[in-house]
Amino acid sequence: MRFETHQLAQHYPLLFEGLRITLTICALSLAFGIVIGLVACFGKLRERGIAYRIAVIYIDFFRTIPEVVLIFWVYSCLPLMLSLRISAEASGVIALTLFASAYLAEIFRAGILAVPRGQIEAALALGVPSLHIWIRVILQPAIRRMMPALVSFLTELIKATSLLSAIGVAEMAYQASVLGSKTFAYVEFLSAIGVLYFIIIFPLSIYARRAERRLVSRTAN
Amino acid sequence: MTEGRGKRGQTVVRCVEVTKRFGSFEALRKVSVEVRAGEVVCIIGPSGGGKSTFLRTLNGLESIEEGEIHVLDVRLPAGKREIERLRREVGMVFQSFNLFLHMSVRANLTLAPTTALGLSKAEANERAKRLLTRVGIEEQIDKYPGQLSGGQQQRVAIARALAMEPKIMLFDEPTSSLDPEMVNEVLDVIRGLAESGMTMLVVTHEMGFAREVADRVLFITDGQILVDAPPAEFFGRPTDERQAAFLSKIL
Amino acid sequence: MLGYGGQTESHDRTWGQNALFAAFAIGLAGLLAYQVNWELIGSLDFSVVWEYRLPLLKGLGTTLFLTAIAGVLGIFFGTILAILSQSPFAPLRWAVVAYVEVFRNTPLLVQLIWLHFALPAFTGINTTALESGILAITLQAGAYFTEIVRAGIEAVPKGQWEAAYALGLPDWTRWTRVILPPALRIMIPPLVNLIISFFKASAILSILQVSELMTVTNRISNVTFKPIELFTATAAIYFVLGYIMSQATLRIERVLQRSQR
Ligand SMILES: Nc1ncnc2c1ncn2[C@@H]1O[C@H](COP(=O)(O)OP(=O)(O)O)[C@@H](O)[C@H]1O
Ligand SMILES: [Mg+2]
Repeated sequence: MRFETHQLAQHYPLLFEGLRITLTICALSLAFGIVIGLVACFGKLRERGIAYRIAVIYIDFFRTIPEVVLIFWVYSCLPLMLSLRISAEASGVIALTLFASAYLAEIFRAGILAVPRGQIEAALALGVPSLHIWIRVILQPAIRRMMPALVSFLTELIKATSLLSAIGVAEMAYQASVLGSKTFAYVEFLSAIGVLYFIIIFPLSIYARRAERRLVSRTAN
Repeated sequence: MTEGRGKRGQTVVRCVEVTKRFGSFEALRKVSVEVRAGEVVCIIGPSGGGKSTFLRTLNGLESIEEGEIHVLDVRLPAGKREIERLRREVGMVFQSFNLFLHMSVRANLTLAPTTALGLSKAEANERAKRLLTRVGIEEQIDKYPGQLSGGQQQRVAIARALAMEPKIMLFDEPTSSLDPEMVNEVLDVIRGLAESGMTMLVVTHEMGFAREVADRVLFITDGQILVDAPPAEFFGRPTDERQAAFLSKIL
Repeated sequence: MLGYGGQTESHDRTWGQNALFAAFAIGLAGLLAYQVNWELIGSLDFSVVWEYRLPLLKGLGTTLFLTAIAGVLGIFFGTILAILSQSPFAPLRWAVVAYVEVFRNTPLLVQLIWLHFALPAFTGINTTALESGILAITLQAGAYFTEIVRAGIEAVPKGQWEAAYALGLPDWTRWTRVILPPALRIMIPPLVNLIISFFKASAILSILQVSELMTVTNRISNVTFKPIELFTATAAIYFVLGYIMSQATLRIERVLQRSQR
């Protein structure tokens, strides 16, 4: 078969438009996901009580059901239940926010719990006010510690945005399928976005792996 | 408070029938004891006997189930505010140093004075330098804990506690996780502190140090203070069977 | 979390946090109560799920079949590739790395559509949706499993290798008796977690209308106009099965940890 590069040359602006939407949706659901994820994380850190139970159910539920199911549920059920019009893009952001917040909550929690008890006790024994203990003694090292997991989750989030093509969000995978069916140059467009995804995701995975290894070797000695 | 050893000030720590439980396990059982200003009290006893737990109840790191503890002008159990105020006047040094690993030595020493006492950065910095000089490691001020030896780390930890200008110091086996050649540099700092008249409670396995520095020695086992005596008496004429057994093993 | 010596701290701390959570919960509940179409919620009729239980069960069967395929073939190829990645022949190692990185760093959806359309274009072999789906999920599973098996192998201490070489053990014996058994113990928890994640990922194959649970749900919803009932039921099925699997994994992990001491 021939690889029809002229199709790519002609239509590439649409692919980049798709890329812009992919990245925008990622950024929005990451931002919202961080906020809700923090609330869920602190709920679960309480270890008992009603907020704890709600947080555990929330986290388990949205980590366990497939992202595709979540996306379709938000897209086709939520508007009916709330008698609201929700655009495909907004549905996508809502679904990915639910997905991201549940995973981020666990990442935050692991980071916070990994701060050795002795560090907190030393600060308590000095009489450092709790707000400062949280900021300087717990969160600062915890954030450093959770960077690898955070970046590695970001790669999962970017991959998950491709699923939004199923509900017609005009992100990168959607643009490629539409262009493919219009021009019959499926292979060309799909290969092109495959390369684009790889260019974005691969450096992030490399960073996550390196940072992880640095962390392990630092805690080992 | 520079009356020195031997002379005793007013009571600064008073425990009355203190009981501490972990679940149903009693780590402290009706412990009663008093410490006066300027006293150096060494605490010895077998591992798991409740020495750390006892020390940690004094600054509210462990809650108590029964009895009460008076430390300075605070009566425990107390609310968060009271406990925070108390902790600013009671310094603690841990067996495992517990320096803030992601902060420089300078930041370790200035964090509490700036956030809890409201000192300016410059004032806290001055104080940090002065104290590091006192413990003999002023040149390490911009290093991170990971770059220091164990002995140096523990001296930083002592300076960090002193930066709050505490009235009482608690030491929980300050030399137990040090290599032998570093034990003395830390003991010298603690000895100097004792000579300056600081009220101190020191959990230790260094019998020579206890004999030399302590005004009183407590023997804690099974959550109880079995013996409370001056060092000469404590090491010379054991009064308790378990104390005698412990001493014969360790000396 | 911070701990202020017990009694009163729980009071102090809980108060502030409770206020925060209460505000959050009341805000959310208020918003929902205001917006929710209660009439519609009241008229939901879940009997449609029972009515279509057979196609749904069949779809679930396909989902589990795909999960099993991804697990079995993925582990098979993953193990082979992980062993090849220890080969002294560099181009072979590079090939394994390239395969693993490409399939781990692009979305399954793109791989799936690519294989479905490109394979016929390149080879002339036409695959059904199910075949493309199986191929894609196996290839991706293989890449992820390779990484896990490799990490397991590399966690085996050097001394074990050296002892095996020093004894002059044949390749087969060295791998099956010395290297893989301890590696397996490290690998089991991530392997099982990966299988769960392919249970979830199989829903992506609905893009090609592979008749697994999600596709079936979509189809029934299109003819009955009862999306809420159907998608909710399907979400519940995925949740219950996925939850059971992940709890079982936790159990396994705990047992392994205990037996290590
Ligand atoms: N957080 C805790 N939870 C449960 N048991 C504890 C805890 N801390 C200490 N203990 C128990 O209390 C007893 C006294 O411990 P500790 O005060 O650390 O002894 P010591 O310092 O004399 O070695 C031990 O039996 C120990 O197992
Ligand atoms: Mg102890």
